[in-house]
Amino acid sequence: MVKFLTLGSFLLAAANWATAFAKNMIRKDSSTVLRLGSASDLAQNGAMLFRYPTPQDPCIAVRTAEGALVAYSQVCTHLSCAVVYDKSADQLVCPCHRGVFSVEQGAPIAGPPTRPLARVKIEQRGDHIFATGLEV
Amino acid sequence: MSTRKQGTTLFSAILILVATTVVVQLWLLSFSMEALLRHQFKPLIPAAVASTVLLSINGGLLRYVFRFDREVQRNSVG
Repeated sequence: MVKFLTLGSFLLAAANWATAFAKNMIRKDSSTVLRLGSASDLAQNGAMLFRYPTPQDPCIAVRTAEGALVAYSQVCTHLSCAVVYDKSADQLVCPCHRGVFSVEQGAPIAGPPTRPLARVKIEQRGDHIFATGLEV
Repeated sequence: MSTRKQGTTLFSAILILVATTVVVQLWLLSFSMEALLRHQFKPLIPAAVASTVLLSINGGLLRYVFRFDREVQRNSVG
């Protein structure tokens, strides 16, 4: 009995190490670095559309009124319409059902959506803007 | 208490200890899996190390059981 339990213990330890090394695969898959353009292209209170991590994933990068750089998946968490940036209200708006998301956090603040937009990690290196990963 | 009786008590205690460590390892694995799916990578290596430590404890206990068993057999033959 102790023999079988120890064998099980060995398998569990091996599975634990496999899980620990699986993180490298996940990181590699989701951390494609993509150059979006130059920082000067994205003026204050402006938006830029791009596709990340695959050409089938529409995203939007916004330079907020405060000057912060944020990016989200354009796919509305209600029924997957593409959200757009409403410059005057400084909000992300889904035109299909009037869903509204905060530009700072991507959190739903009005309309039918209940889940936040998927956030894209974004970095500014010199004059260049890069998408570096997706936050789950 | 005879060596054989002592052995039975000891074996039961070791069995409970090993079973407990295996349950802890199971919990560590499920915790690691959840952390992995949440993309929280920090606790993965410590969890794997803890699991390995528990494995070594189990291995040590198994070795002790084998040695004890061999000793009992040698005494009964002698």
